[in-house]
Amino acid sequence: MNENQFGDRVRHILNQGLELDSAAAERLRLARERALEHQRPEPAPALRWADNVLGNLGGWSGVSLRLLLPAALLVAGLLTLYTWQQNRQIAELEEIDTLLLTDELPIDAYLDRGFQDWLKKRAAEQ
Amino acid sequence: MASRSELEAFLIGVERRAFKQAVFAVRDQDAALDIVQDAMLRLAEKYGHRPVSELPLLFHRIVQNAIRDYFRRQKVRSLWTTLLSSLAPGRGEDDDSDPLDSLHAAGGAHPGEQPGEQLERTQVLEIIEQEITRLPERQREAFLMRYWNELNVAETALAMRCSEGSVKTHCSRAVHALAAALKARGIEL
Repeated sequence: MNENQFGDRVRHILNQGLELDSAAAERLRLARERALEHQRPEPAPALRWADNVLGNLGGWSGVSLRLLLPAALLVAGLLTLYTWQQNRQIAELEEIDTLLLTDELPIDAYLDRGFQDWLKKRAAEQ
Repeated sequence: MASRSELEAFLIGVERRAFKQAVFAVRDQDAALDIVQDAMLRLAEKYGHRPVSELPLLFHRIVQNAIRDYFRRQKVRSLWTTLLSSLAPGRGEDDDSDPLDSLHAAGGAHPGEQPGEQLERTQVLEIIEQEITRLPERQREAFLMRYWNELNVAETALAMRCSEGSVKTHCSRAVHALAAALKARGIEL
């Protein structure tokens, strides 16, 4: 006898033992009635699509692991990059300000039109 | 989507087998009833809108999860019980009664069946149920899903969250262990 034949015989015998005492049968009936009262209604078409996607991803727990976690990591990474770039820009501006303020040439000189013309002329000559 | 009547018909078809399956696993009739009750409720609440064809796999998965949750809770409870019983004089572990004994395993008498035949049938059923209870958990799950609930290998693998190869291995081992145990008790199927 192969495995399938053995399984069929056991199924046949086990099915003969499905009679339950009245208390257990009644509890099962009540549980079934209660479950049917809580049957989830069919979702709206848009929600149905989202629900199928969720179902394919393994429900909400699957989503949290496969979708939300990488998304959270991506957002955290982007935020870190943005903050780092902002700090670098501020540091560069601070450096320019320091150079300007510590230079011997007064800062007003850069606003003088004649001085700018002179700088251009010098650059052209060189 | 499964209509109310389709869901009801599905539940009527599986509830007793699910109950017995839970009894084989937890060996407690009340706990098994709780497990099936929770599983039916969860199926209806969360997947009641799914097509009928998807229900068997979903239901068996929920039942297996509910059985595992039961064992997890038992583990925590037994830890506290052990701690507390060490402080107070408790009952010894002399209760040898088998929960399966309390089940009405006999079933209805078949028409025209002699009392002797009925007795033999009842005894064979009891012995098979006892031996199924003794199988390792994963083997029992695979065997019952494949051969009693008639899920195919792929569906059983999905419900058990393992590979199809593992299902085949579990089933094969279960069949051989069960056949050997029955033979040892003088039963040839």
